[in-house]
Amino acid sequence: MLEMHGITKRFDAVVALNNASFEVAPGEIRALLGSNGSGKSTLVKVLSGLVNPNAGEIKIDGKSVQIGNAQESRRLGIAVAYQDLSLIQSMSVMDNLVLGLEPKGPLGIVDRKQVEARAREVLGRLKIDCRPEDLVRSLPPSVQSMLEVAKAISLKPRLLLLDEVTASLHHNEVDILFDTLRELKEEGMAIVIVTHRMEEIYKLCDGCTILKSGETVARGKMSEMDLNEIVYHMTGKRPDAAAQGVCQLANIEKEEQVLEVRNLVLLPKVKDISLNAFRGEIIGIGGLEGQGQSEFIRALLGVHKPSSGEIYYNGINARFKSPAQAVKKEIGFVSGDRNKEAVFPIRSVAENLYAGKTTKGNIFGYLGPKQINSFAGRAVEEFNIKAGSLKHPANSLSGGNQQKLVVGRWIALAPKLLLLDDPTKGVDINSRREIHKILKKCTEDGMTVIISSSDNAELLEISDRIYIFYEGKVSAMLAEENRTEEKLVAAMMGLISCDTGGELDG
Amino acid sequence: MRQFVRDNQVGMALIISALLFAVNIAINPASLNANTFGSIIALTLLLSFASAGQTLIMITGGIDLSVGAVMSMAAIFTANTMAGQEGQMPLVIAQVVPMALIVGLVNGVGVVKLKLPAMVITMCVSNVVTRLQYVYTQGLPTGTTSKFFTMTLQHRFFGFIPGMTLYGIVIFGIVLYILNRSRYGQQLFLTGNNRNAAYLAGVRSDMVEILAYVLGSLLAGIAGIIGAGYMNFVICQSLDSYTMMSIVAVVVGGTLLIGGKGSYLGTAVGSLLIIVLSNCLAVLNSSDAVRSVIMGGVLILLLAVYNKEKPIRQ
Repeated sequence: MLEMHGITKRFDAVVALNNASFEVAPGEIRALLGSNGSGKSTLVKVLSGLVNPNAGEIKIDGKSVQIGNAQESRRLGIAVAYQDLSLIQSMSVMDNLVLGLEPKGPLGIVDRKQVEARAREVLGRLKIDCRPEDLVRSLPPSVQSMLEVAKAISLKPRLLLLDEVTASLHHNEVDILFDTLRELKEEGMAIVIVTHRMEEIYKLCDGCTILKSGETVARGKMSEMDLNEIVYHMTGKRPDAAAQGVCQLANIEKEEQVLEVRNLVLLPKVKDISLNAFRGEIIGIGGLEGQGQSEFIRALLGVHKPSSGEIYYNGINARFKSPAQAVKKEIGFVSGDRNKEAVFPIRSVAENLYAGKTTKGNIFGYLGPKQINSFAGRAVEEFNIKAGSLKHPANSLSGGNQQKLVVGRWIALAPKLLLLDDPTKGVDINSRREIHKILKKCTEDGMTVIISSSDNAELLEISDRIYIFYEGKVSAMLAEENRTEEKLVAAMMGLISCDTGGELDG
Repeated sequence: MRQFVRDNQVGMALIISALLFAVNIAINPASLNANTFGSIIALTLLLSFASAGQTLIMITGGIDLSVGAVMSMAAIFTANTMAGQEGQMPLVIAQVVPMALIVGLVNGVGVVKLKLPAMVITMCVSNVVTRLQYVYTQGLPTGTTSKFFTMTLQHRFFGFIPGMTLYGIVIFGIVLYILNRSRYGQQLFLTGNNRNAAYLAGVRSDMVEILAYVLGSLLAGIAGIIGAGYMNFVICQSLDSYTMMSIVAVVVGGTLLIGGKGSYLGTAVGSLLIIVLSNCLAVLNSSDAVRSVIMGGVLILLLAVYNKEKPIRQ
């Protein structure tokens, strides 16, 4: 029914899709699989009209088509349900379900009775527990996810795309959803699901297509592919599911513990995380994207308020209410999302480097350009930042050098604990290497580093210990000889798990 | 040439001011005298006092439409309390400061905590303050400022440097220190350029922003006291026009409407341009209404030419 060939999409220097192909037949449920940065989200966006590919051909029923925008996608019979919901929170359930396709009576007035009837029918089919007049924002996340799917199904598409919709669903809801999908399949609908849950794929899908680094590396029937093979195609490594004892902490001096987190919960993403870090350690946090890594790091920083669990920082119960409090206690934070969360684009290189230090001291105290420039001058030299002048705006620098600005901002302050959230995403290889070098050198001086990364090679290279997150829990902690890519991959796919009780405390 | 125009906004404003002044003299050669100079300097200073707070607020990416109302209110307090007597200044300050603090807090909390658009909340506050002027004075403000106070403002050293310059030295000193030589100033620029990044870097951006509105109202209050002393007559809403003029002065002076960039010296040059322009229009005998139309036109033109920096999507 759908065929895609040679699809290529570049975002500046980053190649998201490289000559990828994909096809799905009517009456088929196909899984679209891939690890971090494999391009599966981009492929979904191409089909939904949100992203226009640079090259490639899309055919529906053998006819070449262009999907220039979301309306065209809809007209071609494609409907998408997203993980990060496309529902309008302030509108009612029924209004969301008919949005853009409101049934109209004579004179073009919306027929409210028909709207409600249609909504009841859709809600009934998926057994969704809510009333048509409820406001979406008053519903729990799992119900909202079901609604998102219901909305896509109610469009009666020929091709239904489900992007990680099961992540926040309860078991019984997943069962209802799968039953419905099987019915739709019988009716001849083509269904594509993106998920990280391997057991779901075997339960539901007929076949799968696997993407890696933007290329289609494998496709086949589920009956002919075993789990090892799928993971191998996704990651390039065979998972070591027989990993033993990976949750035990090696014998390390306990008095130098800088951070201890016990059973942290921050719904919906963080379900139960325990973790500890010692002075001078680099702790890696790995896993597929969206398993609660960034929420966890932000909870440590005081951006989000955890609903339960304990955080001990230097032995003291530390529930910071804002990043300002955390920074005061010598914690630093480097975000990988430079544009939104780290760089001050029109402020100077010097001011960007001084940004962390700006907060230290009396707010109306003296701070002159000399202080800022001498601090920045030293940092530029030490971290080998390539900038025309300290006075140039930060957005005149390359992406890698901008990221060095942000890392350098904190390193120069020598915090006790540095948190990094995927700091080298989209950074060139040289800058990445230099950032690694800087981090390693700092830990020698006693800094503790917690770094989350979507890149396994990076985690294995720089961290002393790696915690792997899977669905908001730690699925493994890898240290010393356990730090292998095979084990990392197994934990990342949720093939192994450990009970994060008190044992992690060592 | 185009590059120069785009990159030297403040330089351009100075050049345009000089040209306008030349036109002014060409039309009316008699206006080339010490008195004209003196009044241009004094009015420029008064406008730059009024625009000081606006500069801080616009650096955060906000706007304050209550400047004029606060100034008018402060002017009424000043004339009413002084009533021509000496030694009343402490009492005036004791009235103006709390009024400005309350206005600034309401503005700041409204913008930061209630997430109301700055234009909406400051305009509402402006209306309330304006109506309060009528309630307080029954529509007929009384009193005059003290002779000594007015003299310190109107006196001309060497025949053309107004006494207001002495006040200017103090106010410019304070504002320049806050903006360019204090941690607060740095935090203000960072918050204005990328609020989220500033917050995550440990800046208490809520507090920084609220403080900008509070300082802004305080400075407007001071400008109102000085304005009352210089004009030496007071009616309700007498200084309302300073809201629009302060916005134009700040934008002409190179402060970005989306925040993150700006300078007080730029604002001072912007003030000069506006005063020279309105002087020019006065020489041409144009009415207040025509002047307002031209001011509005200038603002739209400048916004179209400058303010090209893209905001950060949060």
